[in-house]
Order: sequence, then C-alpha cells, then structure tokens
Amino acid sequence: MVRRIHIAIVEPSVIIRNGIVSVLKRLNLDIDIVEISDMPQLQSLLEKHNPDVVIIDPTQIGMISLQHIKENLSGSKKFIALQSNLADASALKGYDEFISLYDSAEQIKAKVESIISENKQDDSDKQELSQREKEIVSCIVKGLTNKQIAEVLHLSVHTVMTHRRNISGKLQIHSSAGLAIYAIVNKLVSLDEIKGLKNI
Amino acid sequence: MYKIGQYKATDLMSDLICKNYPMLLVMSRFGIALGFGEDTIDTACRKNNVDTGTFLSVVNLLIGEEIGYRAETLPNISIPSLVEYLRNSHSYFLDFRLPSIKHSLINALSDIENDANSIILKYFDEYYEEVKRHMNYEEANVFPYVEALLSGESVRSDYRIDIFSKQHDHVEEKLSELKNIIIKYYSANNNKLNCVLFDIFSCSEDLASHNKVEDMLFVPTITQIEIQKEK
Repeated sequence: MVRRIHIAIVEPSVIIRNGIVSVLKRLNLDIDIVEISDMPQLQSLLEKHNPDVVIIDPTQIGMISLQHIKENLSGSKKFIALQSNLADASALKGYDEFISLYDSAEQIKAKVESIISENKQDDSDKQELSQREKEIVSCIVKGLTNKQIAEVLHLSVHTVMTHRRNISGKLQIHSSAGLAIYAIVNKLVSLDEIKGLKNI
Repeated sequence: MYKIGQYKATDLMSDLICKNYPMLLVMSRFGIALGFGEDTIDTACRKNNVDTGTFLSVVNLLIGEEIGYRAETLPNISIPSLVEYLRNSHSYFLDFRLPSIKHSLINALSDIENDANSIILKYFDEYYEEVKRHMNYEEANVFPYVEALLSGESVRSDYRIDIFSKQHDHVEEKLSELKNIIIKYYSANNNKLNCVLFDIFSCSEDLASHNKVEDMLFVPTITQIEIQKEK
C-alpha cells in the first residue's frame, strides 16, 4: 500500500523546529511530520515513530554518532543534515542530503522531494486508472472475489491483487464502499448492477 | 514553570474560548456551561466540579506547542475526569455530530439527481457503525478496566492498556476518504453540499483531536499506573 512519507524533525529549539515545520507544510508535499525536541530520548522516539526521513542538526547529536543511531534502527532511513552553523566534515558523514538554514523554500522543496522519491516504490499514484484497472474496479463493486475476478478477466490472482493495490494507491480509496461510489459516478457500473449486494 | 503559549489556571476562560474556538467542544465535554463571564479557567472549572489540571492538560495538548507527553512530563491529571470527558466525547459524536452530518447530507443530496446518492448514504451508515463499534468497545472494555485498576480491584491479568492502543485505529481516516471522494468525483455545485463538506472537515479534525487525547494523554497515563502497580 502506498503510504505517506513520515518525516521526523529533530530539533530542541522551538523557533527553528516550528520554522522548518511551517516551511515543509507550505511546500504541499504528501508528508506527515513528527517533531522530536527531546534529545536524550532521541533513540527511543525514533524507534517509536519509525520515520522514513529524519531531519537533524549534526551538531545536536553530540556524542552519539549518526552511525550508532542508524545501527539501532530497523529499515532504511534517510537522514538530512540541517546546518545552522559550520560543522566539521567528519560530522557530516553518512547524511543523504544537506539543508542550510539559509536555503530558499524552493531549494528545500527540491532536496526533500529528491529524498522522498527515492523512498517511494513507484510513481504510479495520482494517475488515472488504466482500462484494465477500471474493469477490475467494476468487478470489485459487483462483489466478485479476487479468484472470480481472475477467472473473468483471465488473470492470475496475484495480478488481480497487484492491480487492487495500485488502484488504492491511485485513488486513495481503501474501502469497497468507497470504490462503489467512484464506480457509479464514473459510470463504470450502473446502480442496478450493484444493488442488492451486501458488503457495499 | 509554564511554557510559552500554554494556558494556565489564572487565564480567563473567555480568552481561551474566543481565541481557540474548537475548545468550546472541550469545555462542553467537561460539562462546563457557557456564561462564565470574567471567571478564570480555575474558577470556571471549580464551579462545575471539573479538575482544573485535567482540563488544562487536554487544552494545552490540543492547542499548544506540546508535542506529546512522556513518562516524566506526564501532567498530574484526574483520571475519572478524563474518562468522563472521553465518555461525553463519544456520546457527542454518536448521538449528535454524526447524526447531524447525516441529516444535512440527506438534505443536500435530495436536491441533486445522482445514482451515487444511495451509495454515499450507505457508506456513511457503515462508517457510523464502525465508529460506534470502536467507541462501544472502549465503553465496554477499556473504561471498566481503567476504573477497576484505579479502585485497586483485581484486573484481568491478560489485559494491558497498550492492547487498546494497538487496536485503536484512526476512525477519522474513513470519513476523510468519503469527503475526498465527494470532492474529487461527485459533480455538483450546491451550497448545502458544501456546508456538509465543511462539517465533515471539522468533524474529521475533531475526531483526530479526540484520538490525540486518547493516544497521548490517556493511554500513557494508564501505562504509568500499570507500571507502578507491578512494582
């Protein structure tokens, strides 16, 4: 399932933290933001929130190395260094991207977008449905099971499931009742065809 | 010590509500009536037998800079007060807010001819049942568990509050889905329907606030009590 990218902003200063949050929010990116201000709890909070991207000032990490933080986290995460002042090159090792306090909104957007797009599995979301996908939607709202859809359309069950995942991703509709509304207003099925069916 | 932007007991209740109108709902769920004149938050709470600290913890969590509480910074709250607040909040959504949205939705759709109308209402009904199931579960299982825990009765040894937090799915998401479907695919230009969409937007936010209170104040507080009991 396509999910929104979670970005953790690690920054004890409320002024800087709120500044980054407000810039990121105005960039219109498809992201969720979690704020972490409590440096001693950094490790446990990162484990708890499990963000995809972490924005952190390298000079704030202090004695703990980035390498150490990474080793204790599951999955691959991207780290963006927030540079508020000059830091030794060795402190910047291991970061995937660098944002300066003096970057413009456009520069920040470009940097965050490039990091996010590496994280996304595919770019198929937010597009129109293909003809095949529309056929599958109409089968789903008529109440057919994956197996039945596979038989009707001569596909494998696995392919049907992949299509369903892509449909959810493109439309951001995750329930069959929601798909039914989509199918009716887009005239993929008529009301009679789905009337009397349960589960819709 | 108070952080910048946080409300404190000596602030005027009218300042809080006028500057943050969603807090009207919080106030009402604590059982505080309008007409508090120049009362401070503390006075208004006392007059209505509400624990001021609990009221402020909820308010500051919802509007403040507070990102969430952790074990050491959990405010000292009255759990019975908070449970009462959550119960009132459930009753607000189930008995008032969602039925009122449904009523306006029926009214708006009746002006527009579209085959999808009946399916949209069906979606809403299903959504309502889902929210009801979720909230009834809390009323039937979570709150009695918490009350037993507080009174020192023996509690189910197999139950912990984090079981609830794991099951606690975010009920506002499905409501947002309906709103998005209508906005993206339902072709209409109708004032009544726009009003319903405004209602759904604000109800989704309100449900998200409700979840925030449960996840960031209620559950962590109960977890602390469980830890202390086990010691």
